[in-house]
Amino acid sequence: MNPFSSGTRLRDMIRAIRACKTAAEERAVVRKECAAIRAAISENDQDYRHRNLAKLMFIHMLGYPTHFGQMECLKLIASAGFPEKRIGYLGLMLLLDERQEVLMLVTNSLKQDLNHSNQYIVGLALCALGNICSAEMARDLAPEVERLLHGRDPNIKKKAALCSIRIIRKVPDLAENFMGPAASLLKEKHHGVLIAGVQLCTDLCKANTDALEYLRKNCTEGLVRILKDVSNSPYAPEYDIAGITDPFLHIRVLRLMRMLGQEDADSSEYMNDILAQVATKTESNKNVGNAILYECVETIMGIEATSGLRVLAINILGRFLSNRDNNIRYVALNMLMKAITVDAQAVQRHRTTILECVKDSDASIRKRALELVFLLVNDGNVKPLAKELIDYLEVSDQEFKGDLTAKICSIVEKFSQEKLWYIDQMFKVLSLAGNYVKDDVWHALIVVISNAPDLQGYSVRSLYRALQTSYEQESLVRVAVWCIGEYGEMLVNNVGVLEVEEPMTVTESDAVDAVELALKRHSSDMTTRAMSLIALLKLSSRFTPTSERIKEIVTQHKGSVALELQQRSIEFNSIIQRHQNIKWVTDLLVVNNIARHPLKILVVESMHLLLGCWCMCRSSLVERMPVLDEAAYLGKRAGSSQPTLSAEKSSKPTTSAASLKLPNGVAKPPAAPLVDLLDLSSDDAPVLPSAPNDFLNDLLGIGLPNSSSSGAAPSTTTDLLMDLLSIGTSPAQNGPSDSNVVPSSAKAAESKPAPVTAPVMDLLDGLPSNASPPRDENLVYPTITAFESSTLKIAFSFEKQPEKPQVTLISATFTNLSSSTLTNFIFQAAVPKFVQLHLDPASSSTLPANGNGTITQSLRVTNTQHGQKPLAMRVRMAYKFNDEDKLEQGQISNFPPGL
Amino acid sequence: MWKISSSSSRSQFRIRRSPPTATLGSLRCVEDIVFEKNCEQERRRKSVGRFGFYFPTMINFVLLISRQGKVRLTKWYSTYSQKERTKVIRELSGVILSRGPKLCNFVEWRGYKVVYRRYASLYFCMCIDPDDNELEILEIIHHFVEILDRYFGSVCELDLIFNFHKAYYILDEILLAGELQESSKKTVARLIAAQDSLVETAKEQASSISNIIAQATK
Repeated sequence: MNPFSSGTRLRDMIRAIRACKTAAEERAVVRKECAAIRAAISENDQDYRHRNLAKLMFIHMLGYPTHFGQMECLKLIASAGFPEKRIGYLGLMLLLDERQEVLMLVTNSLKQDLNHSNQYIVGLALCALGNICSAEMARDLAPEVERLLHGRDPNIKKKAALCSIRIIRKVPDLAENFMGPAASLLKEKHHGVLIAGVQLCTDLCKANTDALEYLRKNCTEGLVRILKDVSNSPYAPEYDIAGITDPFLHIRVLRLMRMLGQEDADSSEYMNDILAQVATKTESNKNVGNAILYECVETIMGIEATSGLRVLAINILGRFLSNRDNNIRYVALNMLMKAITVDAQAVQRHRTTILECVKDSDASIRKRALELVFLLVNDGNVKPLAKELIDYLEVSDQEFKGDLTAKICSIVEKFSQEKLWYIDQMFKVLSLAGNYVKDDVWHALIVVISNAPDLQGYSVRSLYRALQTSYEQESLVRVAVWCIGEYGEMLVNNVGVLEVEEPMTVTESDAVDAVELALKRHSSDMTTRAMSLIALLKLSSRFTPTSERIKEIVTQHKGSVALELQQRSIEFNSIIQRHQNIKWVTDLLVVNNIARHPLKILVVESMHLLLGCWCMCRSSLVERMPVLDEAAYLGKRAGSSQPTLSAEKSSKPTTSAASLKLPNGVAKPPAAPLVDLLDLSSDDAPVLPSAPNDFLNDLLGIGLPNSSSSGAAPSTTTDLLMDLLSIGTSPAQNGPSDSNVVPSSAKAAESKPAPVTAPVMDLLDGLPSNASPPRDENLVYPTITAFESSTLKIAFSFEKQPEKPQVTLISATFTNLSSSTLTNFIFQAAVPKFVQLHLDPASSSTLPANGNGTITQSLRVTNTQHGQKPLAMRVRMAYKFNDEDKLEQGQISNFPPGL
Repeated sequence: MWKISSSSSRSQFRIRRSPPTATLGSLRCVEDIVFEKNCEQERRRKSVGRFGFYFPTMINFVLLISRQGKVRLTKWYSTYSQKERTKVIRELSGVILSRGPKLCNFVEWRGYKVVYRRYASLYFCMCIDPDDNELEILEIIHHFVEILDRYFGSVCELDLIFNFHKAYYILDEILLAGELQESSKKTVARLIAAQDSLVETAKEQASSISNIIAQATK
């Protein structure tokens, strides 16, 4: 006999393991035992097989590998005696899981044991099958289990019923076989069998709609009777728990009732009475009673219950919510989340209590409550709720702040009705929990700020103020630094002060200080530092006096170990150093400030022109970021669309300071990336045409004197300016950005009569009259058909004012040739570089069918090379035809000569 | 029934409500994430039946852990590989053991709920689907403990360590396929006693046979 196997008993091994003081000792003991067991296995030792397996199970529980013992289980199961089988099946369930191949080998033994004469052996086999069977085994052994369901012994029956649940879960196709036996189980008296039978029925209902119908027809009555019996039964010591007879059966019957009553008025009707009885009669001072009430409420919510019953259910939940037991409060919150779809008003009544639960000391309750609050928010209560939550943010646990912040942000984004409120709340969140704010949230905030010209000043000042106290909140610092970089001058000059603001004086160097601190703070991460560097570069042009200092700061980072920072600072340094024009820009800034004063209109108009130039120049250097189209951006952020917000934005006229108007309204220049900046400073720029450079020289040539002599700008400047302005309207000329720019500008043109473009164009219209002598010409041009397709026809008629031969007024008439109406009609046109184009808004965006109406739209074309080159135009029409988006385009080259 | 004994290792279970302050390690390795994904897939696979119905096992697993984090009993009703099992145990014991007293007995974990209850030095945990009745699970745990108590006579942790297989036998009479099997304590006790006596008779027979053989070969 093996010297080891006889040695230690199970008890001794457990003792030895428990006596170990260190993990290493324990490992040593386990290793020795495993070696002994392996030896015994290889010797095929029969006497101690069950003991070895028991040891292995203990070792397995400690987390050591025991795969070598798997075959021993099978051998024990195959042996004849009950003790061997008992331990063998236990080992099988413990050491193996359904995915192991070895399991297939046990199918045969299981089959034999299911047919065994000893009921306990059958019980063991059923138990093992129910706990670990795989789909294949389920198919093979389903007939045996089904047969056992019809047996006599209640213990076998209940086990077989539960085993069937596992079989149905593994192979839903087998559900039909169990329908009949399951229904007959509900007629039993034995509670164990009843419980198992009810559970089997519940699972059948989930697996198969036929079964659901069958059980609904045959079992509803029986179920109601079972529940009636058990809830009215006198004291039964065997099943009694805290004065209630068999709460487990209660709960299971209620659950099956929920399945049967769902979306079925008849059976729901049948259940109403007993549900009302359970809901009112059950004692709620013990956990058991509450468990039943909880299940009962869920059933009432789930079925087509009467309204009175639902009120009863909601009241029970209200009682739960005010219970002092945390468990009860937890399930109440859980249930209210489901109830909110049934009766939102009733849930709203408990708002204050729920809000208190958000502040609970228990993480599970807080989480539930927060999710519930999130569902409760609507337009009416968002402000007080958001305020409560934000106030709580200050004192909440660290680990809860993440969840809380995310929820607040999404509430604020989803329900904000006004931008000021949104911006205010976001600033509060940023300064309290900026470190938990997700990137996309503060990105969205920046987009909103950049789209709200009248709040930019307020934003940058609030952020500056918040920055003084909350420097450790990373995202706050980022947003603040970005805003200071963009709107630094508003911070210093107090532009656009709102009534609610306290006055504040910030000097230019204060602003630079703030950014510098963000750059140098050791806890700032790379993104923040990089953003700070960019902000400094922008400030260097806005705040001339500080540019030397900024240069120094930037220079310090030339040696940064972080590649990104090093590269940025070197690039920025060379921009500051080599680009002399930056000084000019700032000089012009002074002019800009003059323009803001209410001077004579003429002067202001010329200032507008110069501002345009200045913008152009700046646009290539330290221009404000192009304004992102908010609707598009929000569309990209799935799930957080703000239709109200964006609609408001697109219609909001940009009426603030003139300097704002140009960059944010008209110019919308194609994003000027760093490459452009560098191209500008190097003379051999191949990509960009030399236009901006020339222009800049022109500008320098004009200098200040020109700006005072109103309106006498040379034509080269106007040309370029026109080029710049045409960017906004002619899509073909600025390839990459047109997808963004065109729709928004087209939208703008629809909603307001181009308030931004018009004054400048008017001004320009006036210019050539000074430059070129008037001509006496009043020609009549024939009307042409510019474009014709199967659906659409466009006719152009022309008009020219004699004194301005370069300018042609074209009125376009669109006719619908098809038989259905075209909606969302948008016309776009593109012209060659030497031509300037201005589109007025169209008369309508809907084109009736069969030529029953037209849209007219007027275009103003200025051909700067009039007489040398003929006019040409590309057109594009976008519209909805039978709910389909269509796009047509064409080229017009048949313009009458002389245009 | 719940006596307090002075010796710490032999202290019987008292019903003592415990719980929370869940702090799950904030550092997660890639393996963790992959595992979580597997769990989620597994959950989806097993939960969606042929008709797209939601298909929960009522109890996914039962776990007994001591206050020191030692595993005293595990029973898996849903499929978890050995590797996943170790991971689940490690993670959950971290969450549950760190919860303070007087908090609620439910922990939300990977889309499931874990209901736990502390008896003396042992935590009884059951993992259920989010739609199940948490309060009832507390009763099932107590049901189990009462049966253990009746069987061992003032059960304590040591009983469960040295007779772990018996604890498993009892659990197998109470739960099957993750569902409750028997609501009567008396019936469970009777069934276990009958099977134990079956084992005893078999042992006696075996020893008498070996005695006979021994005498015959003398």
